[in-house]
Amino acid sequence: MALSSQNADDRDDRWRRWLARITADGMVVVLLATWWLFAQDMPEFLLPSPDVVGLQIWELFTDPRYLVHVAASSARVVIAVVLAVILGALLAFLPRWLKITEVIVHDRIKPFLNSFPSVGWAILAIIWFGPSHGTVVFVMVMILTPFCLVNLSEGLKEIDTEILEMARSFTRRRWVVIFKITLPLLIPYVVSALRIAYGVGWKIALVAELFGTESGLGFLLQQAQSIADAATVFATCLSIVIVFWLGEKAIIDPLSRKFTPISSA
Amino acid sequence: MRAEATGRPWWTPRKAAHAFTLFFLGAWAAFSMVVESYVMPSPWAVVVRLAAMFQDIHEFSHMLYSFGHIIAAVGISFVIGTVLAFMAHYLNILRPAIQDRATPFLNSFSGVGWTFLAIIWFGISDVTVVFVISLVLIPFAIINMREGLANLDGEILEMAQSFSRSPWQRFRWIILPSLYPFIFATIRISFGVAWKVALTAELFGGNTGLGYMLNLARQDFDMPLVLAVIVVIIAFVYTTDRFIFQPLQSVLARHHGVV
Repeated sequence: MALSSQNADDRDDRWRRWLARITADGMVVVLLATWWLFAQDMPEFLLPSPDVVGLQIWELFTDPRYLVHVAASSARVVIAVVLAVILGALLAFLPRWLKITEVIVHDRIKPFLNSFPSVGWAILAIIWFGPSHGTVVFVMVMILTPFCLVNLSEGLKEIDTEILEMARSFTRRRWVVIFKITLPLLIPYVVSALRIAYGVGWKIALVAELFGTESGLGFLLQQAQSIADAATVFATCLSIVIVFWLGEKAIIDPLSRKFTPISSA
Repeated sequence: MRAEATGRPWWTPRKAAHAFTLFFLGAWAAFSMVVESYVMPSPWAVVVRLAAMFQDIHEFSHMLYSFGHIIAAVGISFVIGTVLAFMAHYLNILRPAIQDRATPFLNSFSGVGWTFLAIIWFGISDVTVVFVISLVLIPFAIINMREGLANLDGEILEMAQSFSRSPWQRFRWIILPSLYPFIFATIRISFGVAWKVALTAELFGGNTGLGYMLNLARQDFDMPLVLAVIVVIIAFVYTTDRFIFQPLQSVLARHHGVV
């Protein structure tokens, strides 16, 4: 390596990276082929072949009957993530405004919400509110809030106290400091809270929908499982991966590129 | 609550937190008196049910089953995740395959999805439960162990190379000890996640464990049991993290630098 010229080194490097890319995509192809081969000898209720599943996924995204469920789940995830970030932010700010609440927030509310199982919320929410959109959103908000709280209070801790001091020497109005200094500095942490909440949210949505509604991908999954329709179970699981990935590429990644400070990029 | 007291020195955040706990329990008790008992049982009914749960050998064994599922899954996922992380670190050609294909895929595949697939493949059984928990935990293990490998100090590795030609010796005395904090973090995170996944997996795909018990309780509208199971989970997750993992972490931090 030390002997070869910079140019050859570069070429070598590019070739190696290209090879690794090929291996990665090749692995996916090999896996799909193995799946297809296995599926030939298996009954369809045990392992449907990839083309059947692919067709089913296509239907999920094109047939309005199914598309309603995809849209319902997506909408719930978005609403719950936004609510959880707001609630998490309020909880993170509370100890700043009222010193006395510090232990309450960080040593009572946070561990409580953090260790409360999602199935537990789902069962309780069904009994309390009955099956509805609100029930699913409630379960998700309860699970997502501690993640947002942890991230945002981490962010608040990191904010440079000197900058805040300077801000205070310019104005006495608390709201001006919050909107002009604290919130802009906090945005990278809000974005990372959004990212985590979004990822966890999709998983919780499924759990909540299994109990709490008659729409959404979780409901679809439940229905498919009860009639042993393995192709739809596969298709639903994979379409969640697809929707999740689309949302991340379309919303979360641009946001984080826009708001991540240049120094850490 | 008592706003005029906030300024006094004896009214510390810690005391306020205790007051909050009491207030919370009081609100729960008051709420349970207003609504029907199947909507919200009183704290006392839950405590009684909890005590009964610990005395009933059958119900107690479900707790042990859950524990068994979790230990097995944490072990399996740790081994698989670590092997994959090592492969991604040392074999350049496999890195994108593991890092950009397998990990994000596993990470975004939902636990419920695995549960339903596992039910199709393995039926309602312990295998299903352990399979589901393991698959959910593997990406956490990969990400954490990759982080640990990426943080290995190149200079120390170089020094090790100059002292010994045996790869095993270098691994045993240099690489492994540097990875301790990350191994620990992996197991800690895995444990926290495993409890929640276990409950879902057992509820839909198991015939043993706390999740299974939760399902029976839900079908019978046995709300005190539902809440008792939830209390057991919260208590267990909280105490293991607070009294086992946190102290261990500070010990590790002292021996191996900052975690």
